Amino acid sequence: MIEMNRKARILVLAALIALPRPAAADAQAADAVTSFPFAFQDYRLRNGLRVVLAEDARLPLVTVAVGYAAGSLREKQGQEGLAYLLENLMFQGSENVPPLQHITFVQKVGGELNAVTTPDKALFYETLPSNQLPLALWLESDRMKSLVITPAAIERTRQDIIDENRARSAADLYYATFAQLDMLLFPDPVYGHPLVGEGLAALTETDVQEFHRTFYVPNNAVLCIVGNIEAARTRELVARYFETIPPGPEIPPLPLASFRRENDAVVRFARIPDGNSGFHMGFRFAPLQPGDSECLRLLEYVLLEGETSRLRNRLLRRDLTARYLTGGLDERPGVAALKLFAFCTNAILVARAEKAILAEIDRLKTNAASAEELAKARRRFKKDYYDRLSTSMGKARFLVDAVIAGRDQEAIRRDLDRVLSVSPQNLSSFAAKYFVPQNRVVLEFGPK
Amino acid sequence: MRTPRASLRSPGPAAAVLAAAAAFWLAGASPAVAQERFRRTPPLPDAQRLELRLPEVETFVLANGLTVAVARRPESRLVTLQLVIRAGVVDSPADRPGLADVTARLIGKGTKMLSSDYIENMIESIGGEFTAAVFMEYTVLTLTVVDENLDRALYILRLITLEAAFGERELGGVRRSLYWELRGRKKDPEVLGWGQLLAVLFENHPYHAAAYGEEAIKLIGARDVETFYNRFYRPANAAVIISGPVDAATMAQRIGNHFGAWSGPAAAWAPPAAPPQNVRDRLCYVEAAEAEAATVFAGNIVMGSSDPDFYPVLVLKQILGGTTMSRLFQNLREDKKYATYAFSEMEVFSSCGVYWARARVRPESLGPAIREIVGEIAALATGPAVPSEIEEAKSYLVGSLPLRFESPGGFADWLARYVALGLGPGQWDRGPEEIKRVDAERVRVAARRYLAAKPVVVVVGRPDWIAPLLDGFEAVEVYDASGQIKHTLRKGDGG
Repeated sequence: MIEMNRKARILVLAALIALPRPAAADAQAADAVTSFPFAFQDYRLRNGLRVVLAEDARLPLVTVAVGYAAGSLREKQGQEGLAYLLENLMFQGSENVPPLQHITFVQKVGGELNAVTTPDKALFYETLPSNQLPLALWLESDRMKSLVITPAAIERTRQDIIDENRARSAADLYYATFAQLDMLLFPDPVYGHPLVGEGLAALTETDVQEFHRTFYVPNNAVLCIVGNIEAARTRELVARYFETIPPGPEIPPLPLASFRRENDAVVRFARIPDGNSGFHMGFRFAPLQPGDSECLRLLEYVLLEGETSRLRNRLLRRDLTARYLTGGLDERPGVAALKLFAFCTNAILVARAEKAILAEIDRLKTNAASAEELAKARRRFKKDYYDRLSTSMGKARFLVDAVIAGRDQEAIRRDLDRVLSVSPQNLSSFAAKYFVPQNRVVLEFGPK
Repeated sequence: MRTPRASLRSPGPAAAVLAAAAAFWLAGASPAVAQERFRRTPPLPDAQRLELRLPEVETFVLANGLTVAVARRPESRLVTLQLVIRAGVVDSPADRPGLADVTARLIGKGTKMLSSDYIENMIESIGGEFTAAVFMEYTVLTLTVVDENLDRALYILRLITLEAAFGERELGGVRRSLYWELRGRKKDPEVLGWGQLLAVLFENHPYHAAAYGEEAIKLIGARDVETFYNRFYRPANAAVIISGPVDAATMAQRIGNHFGAWSGPAAAWAPPAAPPQNVRDRLCYVEAAEAEAATVFAGNIVMGSSDPDFYPVLVLKQILGGTTMSRLFQNLREDKKYATYAFSEMEVFSSCGVYWARARVRPESLGPAIREIVGEIAALATGPAVPSEIEEAKSYLVGSLPLRFESPGGFADWLARYVALGLGPGQWDRGPEEIKRVDAERVRVAARRYLAAKPVVVVVGRPDWIAPLLDGFEAVEVYDASGQIKHTLRKGDGG
């Protein structure tokens, strides 16, 4: 492992001070303290590329993941869809890899691959037999170094995305409402637009080239390799394939969110003639303070994970006001949201279900969660956490997410402990601070 | 997607470092430097021996006939407990299809002393996740926990399975949820197509029971569930499987403590003989009024899970449509533009299995697409696969196999299947060796044996897409979404 520099140590100390302080009784919980489940090392190449390696020799597999801090937050107004277009163009060929052959090379050896674009990044990853590590590095370095962007490829890819989006809309009556919710919940032109936006049709080759030149560069990327590897050999290969790729210009800072703040909760209705009655409910948390993220991650489990969680128990088991309820956290740089989605039998039950949710959250503000409730949430969180990190791909994605979010080694290692240390009082304070009408958005839908 | 905590800090190094790095590169780079030679061609794989080493499965049988299987995975913090019952979808009585599903879903919904809510609280209080999955020939009840909660999890698993009670209220809830689930699935053309293919291939065979609809669920009563439970949920018909950071000796004692007193006679069961392959032209059309595209299935009966032909047929399935490089995808999507995707799959049971091609096809290309799919299957049966195709298929299968075992869930599913079907070591971790041993001759023989017979073709699509099909096919059997035949259209009868 590399030594932490002084600045990093100061950051860790600051983070530790800001940690939610465990309540005395909770600190006794035998299963509250744990350790990070695997070792990793990270370093940086001369061109700025951040490299993270983790050895896992259980199976003859390796995952190579490359994340670029080039998500939809990097799009300018009018460019909505550009980040996702670029993600797709990454499969359209580079200097030595013909169009779509990246997929063929990986599949030929039995590998799996995929890519995803989120507000903060574009992530590309493949898992393949571990002796094929050079192949994966060759492929990823070729498209990092020499992606071929042609007007024809842009046009073809743009049309594919439009078709795919149209097919999704046709297949899912509620598809559009998810994008509508985001626009209401993140009332900011950069933070609130959907992945495939209206700007897609008007994007020019210049827009695409400029975005690529600025953000798809080693100094804006992290390369993570997890699996049956030998660190010294892997470092050699990484140097061979990536070290001579020139860095790009200095990366501009992320745009700061500026959310329009209403005086009360925002409530809207979307008519879906052939659909069921239901609603989205979203709560915005911004600006996030140290410790807030940990509170939120545990709160999600208290409210939503498992049939006996607060909201599922109340709506689906006790009151029977909803037929279906799901939800989760949406974390973006500096802001997060808790989103709920429910189907109800009719509009009257929609109103009752919404009221019940608000009552449960209000109860959390005034009466701290019980020790049993919190212990249950912690245990389930821990199980899911270990499950997520049980594969090389899961580990790689976790590390890339963490690095792009700007977290250092110590913060990563203490990640689980920090969430398990959240106390009932932390949760109550958090709820009282953020669950206010001004942060709430409701989007009801139904036939009328 | 869930992401870890985000911050406003960008991931790049400090600005000064970046500026220095950029200056370094700009100074050193000439405008038209030729690329390094090693970038021109894909590199050779490392000379690293790829060895698939799965944990040994230690198996023993308790005095009451219960099989116990333990797989030690010391690196995992999760323990997966499974109770496998050797009875699945096909064991439901002919007049009560779906009974196996309803019974499995009722496990964990109450015991003689405890309510459903109480049990859910117990499971969730240890951070556990309980699931029930019913396959064609077996059922798997799974409880996953972090290792520190293992003892409590064992107690709960024993309690909810051995002391299960089936109250009318819980039964009503399960019936309702399964009813709506089955109804909802009918909107998925893939589900409709697969169900119809099974119904036709297993016509007059016990496995036909797998193709039941939501109406059948209404007939199931508490007495049916009890009868099914008492017949099949018996120690000699079951296995307890544990995978995680455990050792076999300790687990043997604990399982004995919890499950040793379980008693009851064994259920007599033998897999039914394989049905004959379909040999005649059959085009079945399932009407789905709101379909956006046509979904095509084409398949037939193959051998069972322990048959020596399993691996050659697996290679054939891969050549036909295993990936985007395979024949179906390249022909139907890349060359002819008929389909948005085209793949092939295989599922095997004790005595037989099914292979099938599936494609999502543009309605205007439906007839030609069906001909191409059937043609690709026939081509594999009559013309041998070329050696490079065989090697590529084998390479894919060997390379991708370990991916199945990575997660605790994937590993446990594999283990449950292995134990439930009583498979030999060749189906545990020797898959790569078995695949490597498949040669062109075995592929040729298997192709002639299983792919030469005409596949059953099932199309799911809008009613108005049927008529043009009669230009190329003698007859089209038309079904509704419940699998009931409406009528058969024949060429020249005017529809």
